[in-house]
Amino acid sequence: MSEEVGPQADLEELTYRADERRVSFIVDEEIYPRDAIYGAAYLFVDRCYLFLGRPSDRQIEVRLKPKSAGEVTDATLDALAGEFANELLNQVVRQRVGDATRDIREYYMARAFFGEESRSSIDALLAELDAEELEEDELEVSVPWDSPAEDGAGG
Amino acid sequence: MRTGTIKARKLTVAPEKLGYFRYARVAGKVVLTNDVGEFHFLSEDDFRLFLRAELPEDHADIAQLRFKGFLREDLDTDAIADRVRRKKHFLPNGPHLHAVITTLRCNQSCRYCHASRADMSRVDTDMSLETAKKVVDFAMQTTSSYVNFEFQGGEPTINMAAIKFIVEYSKEKNKYENKVLVHSVVTNMTYMTEENANWLIENDVLVCTSLDGPEGLHNWNRAMTGNDPTNAYKDVVRWIKYFNQKYIEMGRDPNLWHVDALMTTTSKSLAMWKEVVDLYLELGIRSVHFRPLNPFGFATKTWHKIGYTPKEFNDVYVKVLDYVVQLNKEGHEIIEGTAATFLKKMLTARDPNFVDIRSPVGSGTGQIGYSYDGTIYPSDEGRMVAAMGDDIFAIGHVDSSTYEEIVRHPTVRAIAVASLLDSLPSCSTCFNAPYCGVRPLHNYMNGGDLFGQRPNTPKCAEYMHMTKQLFQRLIEDNEGEVEAIFRRWVIERPRTDDTSQ
Repeated sequence: MSEEVGPQADLEELTYRADERRVSFIVDEEIYPRDAIYGAAYLFVDRCYLFLGRPSDRQIEVRLKPKSAGEVTDATLDALAGEFANELLNQVVRQRVGDATRDIREYYMARAFFGEESRSSIDALLAELDAEELEEDELEVSVPWDSPAEDGAGG
Repeated sequence: MRTGTIKARKLTVAPEKLGYFRYARVAGKVVLTNDVGEFHFLSEDDFRLFLRAELPEDHADIAQLRFKGFLREDLDTDAIADRVRRKKHFLPNGPHLHAVITTLRCNQSCRYCHASRADMSRVDTDMSLETAKKVVDFAMQTTSSYVNFEFQGGEPTINMAAIKFIVEYSKEKNKYENKVLVHSVVTNMTYMTEENANWLIENDVLVCTSLDGPEGLHNWNRAMTGNDPTNAYKDVVRWIKYFNQKYIEMGRDPNLWHVDALMTTTSKSLAMWKEVVDLYLELGIRSVHFRPLNPFGFATKTWHKIGYTPKEFNDVYVKVLDYVVQLNKEGHEIIEGTAATFLKKMLTARDPNFVDIRSPVGSGTGQIGYSYDGTIYPSDEGRMVAAMGDDIFAIGHVDSSTYEEIVRHPTVRAIAVASLLDSLPSCSTCFNAPYCGVRPLHNYMNGGDLFGQRPNTPKCAEYMHMTKQLFQRLIEDNEGEVEAIFRRWVIERPRTDDTSQ
């Protein structure tokens, strides 16, 4: 977490508890949405055993126990806690951006797959650039053995 | 029990002023990506300003961020829709890759054999011409305008009669189907004859072989069966040269017409990565495809001897990538295959539709596998699972199944759902989502379910690592030299324009 530390006014604090083998957080759902908590925890399933609890209403306890058979030190647990806290912040950003852009994404995805092609200037330009790239390919280094004809289909 | 406190800088965000994006930190930068595959690099400080939509108007990156769709202001959603459609052009097409197992028989006994070979005496594992006809009749029903019959095995050329029949019958049938029709064969070259080679050349059957590296390594990985004295390596090299010379004699463009090769990486290969690349260069093979073992067939039994961890593979992969880039800087024309696939997704407007790395994966929706007996699988990997005693992926038979039953099969749907990155935990928000692909059949083999847990799957580690390495090289590419090389790797020219000269 050290690289995240900045001016005091811009700081967010997260408290954790640790024993010899595990580290745990009690995370407030009012501050961190449940999906962000789950999302952050999920990214640690390769390295940790994860236990989720409900200590009180609107709070989730996340316990991380490293799977490593090697020595677990205070330093490794502190580093793990820092990584989890960082990921929690990132997941909140991801969730907020996802929520705020949901309607826009649904619109352009629906239009892409079920609507009429508008053939915008950007799309036309990209098509033109693709054609130019093919013309300018003097070296032709990338000709896969199963190179398709029309549809860009590869094996 | 002790307590600690973490102090972190807040990530203040003004999402109503931003377009949709995903992000990761690579080589000291924040990499933004979005649904059309655009990417942009920002410093950490600029990223914080970007999140708050407070980058000044005169910032050097503001026009690019707007053009790429990372900012809400002036966001052209119709243009984005067109670009998404263009990127995902393969979705409405239907299966184009039809992998046909002409026989399970093989004269080699590779240490990692994914295909679960049969002995040479097992003629009962040859595809009959009756079944071959039904395979063609079935495959040509695909809604895809492009059809590739890819012959696999066993060693497919052992049943040359089936290959010849399928090529000739599909060409005949295509006179009224009017599809773009391609045939390809994946052969170990040790059963090749001049007669068969000439027939494959004359009939425009693309040839790909297996070449694992220099003689000692290749012959160790790919041993002949019984007391067969054949030197597999020498056969491969001999026939590569034979085919390539014939193409030249026919007036074919050698840049388009040549034998390509795939390698399979064992623990022994990892130590010899440089020799492998040098050999490919020496033989004029312009694409080296450094790919890890798959969890199928004999590889699961011999893993303790030939296997390695994802980290061991990834560490060597970096060396291979940098060496291939260095060779390009020195003027050599060679690419690394998987990197090229990812770069096509990053640097071009169209997804290359590589069936194994797309969302959803191509099993059943982009490809179909046909076993020698006519059993249909969503992909050849489904057949490999069946060969290991589990027929969960058998979805029909050419004798009795209709095309609609197969492409709408619940198993095909389940595989599609299990590989749709926008709906998978951690994939949906991963910076790599526009470029990546999930392999549900690998998940099934590794962990017993189609979905798997992303952080626990070797493919996730491999692809994540690969993309980050490519981005890192672009970030550190101050002179633009690496980007110029990468942009050459993504250019494709259709080989079929050059046929029948």
